Amino acid sequence: MSEFYYTYENVIDLCLLNAVLAFGCLLLLGVNLLSLATGGLMAVGAYLSIWLTMQERWPFGPALLAATLAGALAAAGLGALVLRLRGDYFAMATLAFTEVVRILALNWDPVTGGALGVFGIPKYTETWQLLLLLALVVYFVWALRRSALGDRMRAIAEDELAVTASGHDVARVKLALFTASGAIAGLGGALAAHLNSFVAPGDFGFLRSMDAVIAPVLGGVWNLLGAAIGAIILTALPEVLRFSAQLREVLIGAVTLLAILFLPTGIASLPRLLVRGRIAQ
Amino acid sequence: MILQQLVNGLSLGAVYAVFAVGFTLVFGVLNVLNLSQGAVFMWGAYVGLEAVRTLQLPLPAAMAVAVVAAGILGVVTEWLVFRPLQRRGAHRWMGMVGSLALARILIGAAQEVFGTQVVRYPDSALIDATIVIGAARFQGLQVVAFGVALAMVLALGILLKFTNFGRAIRTVAFDETVARLVGVPVGRVRVVTFFISGALAGGAGGLWSLLFQSVSPFMGDTILLKGLTVLILGGLGNVVGALVGGLLLGLVEVGSIVAVGSGFRDAVGFGLVLLILLTRPTGLFATREAKRA
Repeated sequence: MSEFYYTYENVIDLCLLNAVLAFGCLLLLGVNLLSLATGGLMAVGAYLSIWLTMQERWPFGPALLAATLAGALAAAGLGALVLRLRGDYFAMATLAFTEVVRILALNWDPVTGGALGVFGIPKYTETWQLLLLLALVVYFVWALRRSALGDRMRAIAEDELAVTASGHDVARVKLALFTASGAIAGLGGALAAHLNSFVAPGDFGFLRSMDAVIAPVLGGVWNLLGAAIGAIILTALPEVLRFSAQLREVLIGAVTLLAILFLPTGIASLPRLLVRGRIAQ
Repeated sequence: MILQQLVNGLSLGAVYAVFAVGFTLVFGVLNVLNLSQGAVFMWGAYVGLEAVRTLQLPLPAAMAVAVVAAGILGVVTEWLVFRPLQRRGAHRWMGMVGSLALARILIGAAQEVFGTQVVRYPDSALIDATIVIGAARFQGLQVVAFGVALAMVLALGILLKFTNFGRAIRTVAFDETVARLVGVPVGRVRVVTFFISGALAGGAGGLWSLLFQSVSPFMGDTILLKGLTVLILGGLGNVVGALVGGLLLGLVEVGSIVAVGSGFRDAVGFGLVLLILLTRPTGLFATREAKRA
């Protein structure tokens, strides 16, 4: 077991990190919001924490806290502006945010190192921290779903107009969720920055944001662990398929596509489907 | 100087417009973003290039081959991703994720077949005329590309506006149930829409690779983001909006290189999107969407 861990430490860390980010997106998917802001918010947290630890000599803990707050603040500000947009316009506005942040990072050389990126970032992120964070986030989502707010979220997903008409402040619920997901993304960005010794603006672009949204959709939105399962598959699959650099992309795409086509409620539903199949026989 | 930038901006914008018009057409009919469009664009570029390099076809014939091949890829997208999902009544996110997965397959396949290196057209295939007006120098190719792009969009406009099939497409875009009630063959309309959309993406890919002399498996990623920008500028599902939005984005980008330097060029487009969404939440030329909302 420990040998397995030491061999694949980096992959395991990435799986945990991506699972955390996927839960941030899951929160929003729960109220029918598809956010592509993950990459941009991660960049905010990552660069703030890099600057604080490397230039200002802050310890890791306070830097993480600052990154979390910065992510939440950025999300609250962005959300106040774009949350009133409908459906795809919201998704595109959040994508625009991510891209603008990425391009600003690309051009702000003193802090971000420009296109070359920042080298020699101290590795502070430990597996147990990621594991703890994932456990906290899962607990948070679980508790949220059982709470009155969780009921309201389901109602919003079902029929936003009806919830507004019955006197609930839909906008406030959405802003709160967006802020929470921003905090998760900011913290995730800081942890990602201190995971490898190197960070470049390209790490926080469209594909990063898209992967964070795909994970819960792939794993299953209604299953508590669906987002984690999706993230682990999306992260581990490229490693498993390392034997072929190009065919790898084809296979990952094929697996995702097959899952979308044949598992309507996500990969997390696979065991239940198999069991049901056996009983039916 | 200004004339020079104008030509640069318009030829760039025309390619954006061709791509975005196909993009927005599918959105209008299906109400879903087809994220494989960038990969289809890239395949169009490669097919055009290979038609010139290995089949030795003249450039116009090669472009035609690229357009048809990309159109077929568009139909494959419909058949493989969107039709099964639609039949199941799947959530619209599934379409986005599914088409992005297909894009990944297409990009991976292109790497496998063509390699990852940037390739270019042989010089003999190009029009190397340079037009000089006063202090402005531009390539004949830019003018031709602009003309071809405009012709493509215009042809689509005529199809949509004046033919029965165009009316059928617009009816499905308006409301699918209504279309069924008045006897429009919705399935067939969808297939043809995807063919047109793919063909436009392929045409844009061909024009792009001629204008910028580079073809690579990853060229679709940039144009996909540009296409999304134009889609928002023009309003989702708005064909005229996509045309104007594409030209506008081209001009703004070229202008911004002069004003703030090339590093920020891509930020200007997205900054514009944010600005427009905040002031006009359904795009610059909102018509139907506004009514529907």
